[in-house]
Amino acid sequence: MDERDTTAVIDRALERGAVTATDPIERELEELTLALAADRPAPDAVFVAQLDERVREGFPRERARANPLRRLRAAVAGLEIKRPPMALLGGAASLLAVLAVVVSLSGDDTSDVDPLSSSGGAGMSTPGGEIAPDGDAAVDGAGGAVELRRDTAKRIRQSFLAPTEPPGRRGFAPGARDRRIQRSATLALAAPADELDRVTADVTRVTERYRGFVLRSSLATGDEGATTGGSFELRIPSTRLQPALADLAKLGQVRGRTQAGDDVTAAFVTAGDRLEAARAERRNLLGRLEEADTDVEAESLRLQLDANAGEINRLRGRLRSLRISTDYANVSVTLEARDASASPPGDGLGGALDDALRSLGDSLELAIRAVGVLIPLAVFAAVLALAARAILRRRRESALS
Amino acid sequence: MDPEPGRSTSVNEAIAEPAPVLTQAAEAETFEALYRRTLPRVYAYVASLLRDRSAAEDVTALAFERAYRKQRGYRTGRGTREAWLFGIARNAALDELRKRERRATLEAEPEDLTALGADEIADLAIRRETVRAALATLDPRERELIALKFAAGLSNAEIAGVIGVSESNVGTRLHRTVNKLREACDGRA
Repeated sequence: MDERDTTAVIDRALERGAVTATDPIERELEELTLALAADRPAPDAVFVAQLDERVREGFPRERARANPLRRLRAAVAGLEIKRPPMALLGGAASLLAVLAVVVSLSGDDTSDVDPLSSSGGAGMSTPGGEIAPDGDAAVDGAGGAVELRRDTAKRIRQSFLAPTEPPGRRGFAPGARDRRIQRSATLALAAPADELDRVTADVTRVTERYRGFVLRSSLATGDEGATTGGSFELRIPSTRLQPALADLAKLGQVRGRTQAGDDVTAAFVTAGDRLEAARAERRNLLGRLEEADTDVEAESLRLQLDANAGEINRLRGRLRSLRISTDYANVSVTLEARDASASPPGDGLGGALDDALRSLGDSLELAIRAVGVLIPLAVFAAVLALAARAILRRRRESALS
Repeated sequence: MDPEPGRSTSVNEAIAEPAPVLTQAAEAETFEALYRRTLPRVYAYVASLLRDRSAAEDVTALAFERAYRKQRGYRTGRGTREAWLFGIARNAALDELRKRERRATLEAEPEDLTALGADEIADLAIRRETVRAALATLDPRERELIALKFAAGLSNAEIAGVIGVSESNVGTRLHRTVNKLREACDGRA
């Protein structure tokens, strides 16, 4: 009798509930089957009645809820037989991984918005030029062409992250509060031709409100003597730059806006150190001059003192220049007339479509990034879950060993 | 519900509740119907595994409660509802075994032998003792297989789903185990 025959005989005996085979071996197997089936344990009537009631009530949980002590005991008892919290640990690990990836993505992406640049398509500028981070296209501001160069933007960022000059004796650390940063901004405004005079006055008013000053300004007039545009070079305290720019932007329609920062902390500290060294040298020279024995020696020391005085003056000037340039931000505002009937960029159907397409692109980019993160995490979680399941199964099976 | 209050007293009575063939209609049955149909066999399987009547009652109740709470998670593609239910019962029983780390002896209840004649009583008693002694020679996995087949009344395919092996493997194991049991019975006869 093979395996199939054995199964067939057992199933037949269980189905018929009687010994029917004529073959002695099959008959013996049928008798064994029926004996085993007859010997199966049966539940107690009281137990069945209690379980019936619980089934009818849908296994209520209020018993454990009613008594806190019993609830605690039930929770502790449940802990003993619950699965190991590997799935929970896996989930927590996945969450941590997601957070780590998100943080690293937001921190590593140099093509995104720079900390110093403002929102709304703002770009960056350097003393030698102006750039925007979100494209290579040139933005035509009222004051002239603004060339957008990504490499310059990178250079600026690197200057913030890793100063090229070594720290001086007093030292400084990236992110320290006493950093010296030269800030600059450009703002291209457009306003209806009949409001340009008012806007011009408002630019000065806003600048003075923030305790800044107008360094230079120029206004262009048309054939009829009316103002057609203008440009302003403003100096605004660096600590008040952001609110001042916000107020200036409200004066007209913003057609371009850039911000930039150049960290000159290293240069500032170095100049300060050199000035101290020059002063120390001056004290030394003066001391030696007092003790000079000969005219030749005294003359030589005076010459050195003259050179030293020049160096001290030069370094003072350098420090003053750096202090002023970091205390006050350079703000260039250009103003141009706009046709009152023309729709500003971004308005109307075309602008709405552009915005919609841009939003769609952003959404797709975000989705791709999310998929790139989630797929490995999902695979990791699946492997973890499978491993946990295998371990749990093996532990359970060990009860039969 | 008409549960069996004690151990079955005759072969025909024990076989009076054969494992039903599941149909699509059976798959759609309510939980209470499933409970009523399977309670005696789930209990028999768990009691055979634990060999402790009190623990068997606790684990059987726990298994049905778990099944009740997880019933929405059941998918027909994973096997029959019975196989799913017995899988839950098996996990609960193995957890209990692992927790207790002991094997209590199943208490035999007094049997109603009044309807039988003296020869029949003697034959029945001898046969059961022989089978029980033979069962005791099996290892736990073999005893579980016997419980799933004869106490729970599952098909080989359902057993395969419960213990996580192939159907042909179940057939092979069953063949070997039954042969071992027969030899043990023959040795004691």
